[in-house]
Amino acid sequence: MKQILMGNEAIALGLIHSGVDMLSGYPGTPSSEILGNFQKFRDKFKLEAYAQWATNEKVGFEVAYAGAISGKRTCATMKQVGLNVASDPLMSASYIGLKGAMLLISCDDPGFYSSQTEQDSRSFAKFARIPVLDPSTPQEAYDMVKLGIEFSHQFESIVMLRPVMRVSHAREICEVDDSLYVKANQGNFERNIPRWGAVPPAGRFRQGLEQIDRLEAIKLWNWEHLIEPKTHLLKGSRVLCLTSGTGDGYVKEAVSELGIDADILKLDMPYPLPKENLEALFVKYDKVIVFEESFPCIEEQLSSPKLYGKLTKHVHLIDEFSKDKVLSAFAKAGVIEPNHAYQSEKYNKELPKRPPNMCPGCPHRDVHYAITKTFKKKKSIYTSDIGCYTLGLNQAAIDTILCMGASISMASGFSISDPDKTVVATIGDSTFMHSGVAPLINAVYQNHKFVLIILDNSTTAMTGRQTTPERTNPNQIDIKRIIEGCGVACHEYVYEQDLNKTVDFMKSLQEAYKTATAPVVAVVREFCVLDKENAVGRLGNVVVEVDEDKCVACDSCITNYKCPPMHYNDAGKMEIDPFLCAGCGSCLDVICPTDAFVKK
Amino acid sequence: MKYQIVIAGIGGQGAVFLVKVLSIASALANQKCLGTENHGMSQRGGSVSCYVKIGDFYAPAIDEGQADLLIALEGNEALRNIQYLSKDRGVIVMNAPKNFPKVDFETHSIDAFKKAKAKEFPIDALNVYMLGVTLALDTHFPFTCKEIEEAITAMNAKVAEKNIAVLHQGMNDAKAVK
Repeated sequence: MKQILMGNEAIALGLIHSGVDMLSGYPGTPSSEILGNFQKFRDKFKLEAYAQWATNEKVGFEVAYAGAISGKRTCATMKQVGLNVASDPLMSASYIGLKGAMLLISCDDPGFYSSQTEQDSRSFAKFARIPVLDPSTPQEAYDMVKLGIEFSHQFESIVMLRPVMRVSHAREICEVDDSLYVKANQGNFERNIPRWGAVPPAGRFRQGLEQIDRLEAIKLWNWEHLIEPKTHLLKGSRVLCLTSGTGDGYVKEAVSELGIDADILKLDMPYPLPKENLEALFVKYDKVIVFEESFPCIEEQLSSPKLYGKLTKHVHLIDEFSKDKVLSAFAKAGVIEPNHAYQSEKYNKELPKRPPNMCPGCPHRDVHYAITKTFKKKKSIYTSDIGCYTLGLNQAAIDTILCMGASISMASGFSISDPDKTVVATIGDSTFMHSGVAPLINAVYQNHKFVLIILDNSTTAMTGRQTTPERTNPNQIDIKRIIEGCGVACHEYVYEQDLNKTVDFMKSLQEAYKTATAPVVAVVREFCVLDKENAVGRLGNVVVEVDEDKCVACDSCITNYKCPPMHYNDAGKMEIDPFLCAGCGSCLDVICPTDAFVKK
Repeated sequence: MKYQIVIAGIGGQGAVFLVKVLSIASALANQKCLGTENHGMSQRGGSVSCYVKIGDFYAPAIDEGQADLLIALEGNEALRNIQYLSKDRGVIVMNAPKNFPKVDFETHSIDAFKKAKAKEFPIDALNVYMLGVTLALDTHFPFTCKEIEEAITAMNAKVAEKNIAVLHQGMNDAKAVK
């Protein structure tokens, strides 16, 4: 049956068609829609399956892994940065293996579209010694989910699927199975202490040796089932392109559109590679070029003087692939003359800059504004974290961003290294639950003095409003009680769209800080403007305009408050775009020194 | 057939909706289709660009100098993405005021913001309105009005009637300014 599917939908459907009935993960672009779509299909087909967000990727992985060692077919989803968090259990799970099946889906983000780093999860698979499948389109992602689950079951190994953003967020007409035979599979944990109880060293040593044997068997399988059948289609050119994932699409298109004489061999499982078999193919070629995104995962497993790639500096080392980069690699390797078929002139005059920004009406903007208004920039350090509020960078209200949870631990560090400044940390509710609790315990334990503000909009807003622990179980899990459980008072503020009140709350924290001997912790109860359930009745309906006689174009509003509807008009005065304004009316309050914002 | 479309706009204007409509239309017209959209950091007010490649393609992204059509839901976003247009075939359909900078491509422009401010159509249907303008003015556009109507209905039958009315309004307005 043909269906139009986005990559992440295709993956979710593939999981259902593979009999996976236990899914756990943490949202992160570009992976987030996999779990949501799985839930959608589950409900549509009335299947019994567990699919829930975990507090973080490590937890999500461990939940799914326990399911797999009980014999169920499971899956954990995350983005590449999340895999760093889940790497701890992955390394051990790779030794121990499993009984049922488990697919680890880690979505990569070449080109840094929504990530702090450009990592290659395939390198992590190599590090952990588990096989990895690298799809290039939604159709392949669907097919590879099914292959990966079967393969995981057969080899008792976790299998990684590594889609990139251009697969997860691509849309394609896919051929998928017609009907469903899926029924919930029953887990049954069989006690086997030497296997599942990971205590070093004796048992681990044996499992380490088994892991190496397993890898050899997988290499052979990779050759016999995935690579060797394709070698019969090679035409015998002088140049061989080894491709993987999305790299393949760019090479295929460039080679066919420009009539370049080259053979293309796509490696569906870029790790573990049957080195000897592959290198034996090189005999017939003058040059072998490796096109892969993002790190030299394939290239590092092979060795030949004929090999060209990232390690030899013939292929780009950072950023997303493009056909222009394919041509550049061909030219550098001396296969074609320099060719600029995929370059074109940009518009060279100035255009309005549109950096990512918080939504109009978002409470985070007010909180950041109130922080900088109260805790002056010269005397403060603002640490922050991963989420929508990271965009407070636009308001110059954030000094550091490292990784999930680091705002609190770094606030501890700054309070020791630069004690004359007031450290103000901001973190969202989902990120706090993900990895902020442990650093808060540490800060109380060590009496670190700083201000921590938890921005609680009760959703994982940035990745598409996935549920958070306190949203699902509000009577059991509560940020205020977690803070109090750490032995410090919780200052609570229920956000209102009166900016003066938010500033006043911040001043009360400043007062508390003066006499504090431990972290001053606050939770601001907010809402996400896109969250239909929670935002209802809390967003204003105020139409604001600018009194042009009063506006002196001082930049104060767009520098310190920076709401998307604000822009200068042809007369050089501030203007509010009525199509973008959410009607919150916050700008009427303290942000304009000449009171130029007025109610219409 | 090979036809490549870049859809540019700012967050909240519904560029992703157009990718879905065009991919459904491709399926209805029995064509292969590969598209891609940017999620995540593109909050409201940020630049958004999406690609739709109809025909025999393997890579979802469109390269510079390759696109047949650029649909811009906002004029400056057309300029920001102009390098994706093919020098020989490239056509722009954009929402821009009359005094907008001239560029070296076949350009069809309509001031949709002005019409929305005058309440001639609801601003949240800007995407469908511009699709109507495209249907009326791009002679190489690979879909018929009927195919687009069917795709809009397949997307969401509940609001299809309203959307199709805006589609036709876009077509009529475009013919009037032509």
